[in-house]
Amino acid sequence: MSRRPTPSRRRWTYALLIASVLLLTLMPLPAGIEPFRPYWVALLLVYWSLEAPRPVPLGLAFLIGLVLDVLTVSLMGQHALSLVIMLYLVGRFRSRIRFFSHWRQALAILALLLNDRVVLLWGLLLAGVRDFGWAYWVAPFVGALIWPWLFVLLDQAVRPLWRRRP
Amino acid sequence: MASPHNADRQTLFTRAASPTARLMLYGLLAIVLMAMDFRGQYVERIRNAASLLAVPVYKLIEMPFRFGGWMDEQITSRATLVRQNRQLSESLMAMQAQLQKLNESRAENQRLRDLLGAGQQSQEGFLYAELLSIDLDPFSHRVMISGGPERGIFVGQPVIDAYGVVGQVEAVLPGTARVRLISDANHALPVQIGRTGLRSIVYGSGDTQILVLPTLPFNADVQAGDLLFTSGLGDRFPAGYPVGEIMSVQRDPGQTFARAYARPTASLDRGREVLLLTGSTASESPVSAVDDDQ
Repeated sequence: MSRRPTPSRRRWTYALLIASVLLLTLMPLPAGIEPFRPYWVALLLVYWSLEAPRPVPLGLAFLIGLVLDVLTVSLMGQHALSLVIMLYLVGRFRSRIRFFSHWRQALAILALLLNDRVVLLWGLLLAGVRDFGWAYWVAPFVGALIWPWLFVLLDQAVRPLWRRRP
Repeated sequence: MASPHNADRQTLFTRAASPTARLMLYGLLAIVLMAMDFRGQYVERIRNAASLLAVPVYKLIEMPFRFGGWMDEQITSRATLVRQNRQLSESLMAMQAQLQKLNESRAENQRLRDLLGAGQQSQEGFLYAELLSIDLDPFSHRVMISGGPERGIFVGQPVIDAYGVVGQVEAVLPGTARVRLISDANHALPVQIGRTGLRSIVYGSGDTQILVLPTLPFNADVQAGDLLFTSGLGDRFPAGYPVGEIMSVQRDPGQTFARAYARPTASLDRGREVLLLTGSTASESPVSAVDDDQ
């Protein structure tokens, strides 16, 4: 079996990953657990930024954020801002976070996601939302709990594509 | 692609400043977009154009759920179907009996209106639509429904469910349409209080369970339990559809107006089926001034 990934295989994996996080973001959940939905797109992009040979460019994060804004019909630019800030922070502390153990990494992710909620708050307050409910602040914890498993899973799926670059 | 050699040639400062500069650039761009989307119409147009590309994504995501629903229908047992059928026929009978009476009072009402010289009361038709199995941003207060322009859905069309007003169509896309719920903080709806006939405007609060009437006169006769109906002013929603029930009234002496809070009668966050009103009162016009701005 040839271990060297072809560019087309890499492209397909990327497309599949992005499609699956969009699916997870838009897929209907029962009303009770819906507010706890983790920020899947951010989790994927953070993994990507940490483990890929080079971090996700902020321009790409901005574009993906805009796509997410259009898809979820939120205030235009809200997710773009959130992802740009998040990936900037990841890029800043990349070399440190990369060498954390999974659970310490999860704590770093928690900090990032909580910070991100504060960023999203601006947009929501601008849009006139006043009552967020406690679940708004719990979703980051769900994201952080999922992180180690997601990390291992993505490692299986994506790491081989990056291990040997032509 | 910068080769390692190139990367080494960069000075320390450009390397350190570049991501921050980019953060500033994109951050500013996003904030400007948010402000424009909040204030103006331009971004709305861009969003509607981009939504055309979102439709295939929605269809794709919906597919497994639609298939699941179809499977569910296929394996429903005969006994369940027969039982449901009987229940439905019974409730239909009851409804029809009630309708007979209603028809009579409608005719009577029309005769009286004729005597008074008041105008013809319009009759609305309905168009059935289902909500797509898509969870949008929970704070966006929008839902996607099935059916697009080919079924005669137009922007500004009132949307109701079995219990009351749900919202209005905000954008029509191929095969689907986006509905703004009355709970959206930027939505306003002219209403009338059933008991007293007092007219006011009900705003969304950003919470699907709460509507706000922030501009009631201080001495207005409003109390908890009062029902709200559309008043028909604003030419968007026909008169007489239930909107909500007053939960509480606040009369703060420091304020100019009394505030009332209402609970919407329509199941905004749980319903799966809606009706679109087609008829004379529901006129085709873009979402704009009256219902859109506070």
